[in-house]
Amino acid sequence: MAYSEKVIEHYENPRNVGTLDKEDPNVGTGLVGAPACGDVMRLQLKISDDGIVQDAKFKTFGCGSAIASSSLVTEWVKGKSVDEAVTITNKEIAKELSLPPVKIHCSVLAEDAIKAAIKDFQDKRAKRQAQGAPAEKPQATTQP
Amino acid sequence: MNHFEVFGLAPALELDVKALEQKLRELSLEVHPDRFAQADAKTRLAALEKTTALNDAFKVLKDPVRRAFYVLKLKGVDLENESSAAQAKMPMAFLEEVMERREQLEALKAQKDVVKARAMADGIEREKQAALEHAKAALGRDDVGEATHQLGRVRYFTRFVEEVEALEEEALS
Repeated sequence: MAYSEKVIEHYENPRNVGTLDKEDPNVGTGLVGAPACGDVMRLQLKISDDGIVQDAKFKTFGCGSAIASSSLVTEWVKGKSVDEAVTITNKEIAKELSLPPVKIHCSVLAEDAIKAAIKDFQDKRAKRQAQGAPAEKPQATTQP
Repeated sequence: MNHFEVFGLAPALELDVKALEQKLRELSLEVHPDRFAQADAKTRLAALEKTTALNDAFKVLKDPVRRAFYVLKLKGVDLENESSAAQAKMPMAFLEEVMERREQLEALKAQKDVVKARAMADGIEREKQAALEHAKAALGRDDVGEATHQLGRVRYFTRFVEEVEALEEEALS
């Protein structure tokens, strides 16, 4: 199957690959995957206290379309408010990358990853506020 | 007609592949194009379609993993179909585990440590076989949810092993 030029461009020069500290109270982590491809995508957003996405990093193990979709959204969300970022749809991603129908689910994953990352950030913040405590103390990790 | 019906079989997780191959030969002879060279176009087309159906069915049924995915599909969950498979979400703990192992493999790749990568792949291959057995047991008792979960795991493990195989190919070239 032929990839579009934009997919190839992102695949060969992925933007913002890497990790942010997931214990940082201002970092939201979204981890998603679909068994169709057996791919896994992690998107992390660093969000300021006033709700602006300051930084975004991703790591995706999957096909070219999955990598391109996540690379693209890291570019798109930076500088956006959380409210704007959650409105990004898989349709916009698929359109920008000219994804064929069989690869639409890659853009769905990227959309899910943004929402999951933001939800993680909001859950963390809610927890912090509920405890009324400073958030320096890292939470127990759930690593196996 | 489903792939099992093409061979006159009921859906089954365990198949004698040798017997299936024998059956493929017999049935293929019956519809061989040479036998219909003089027939009208409609008959020749039907024979051709039957040949294609036999070959497609054999490809799926001879492979225990593809066969299990196919039995699941007959039960209504198509994990080969990317849009419906996207709905079948894997548990977070499993995704974390996959991410962690893929990162380990990535590091081994960077170090070109094919030996350690192979050791990981062998371990994961065993997990894949175990997941396949769990999936088959679940399919046997009609537990579609558990079968979907286990075959989802099989898919992830397969990808991992393929990744190591690609690394080995690369090391050879």
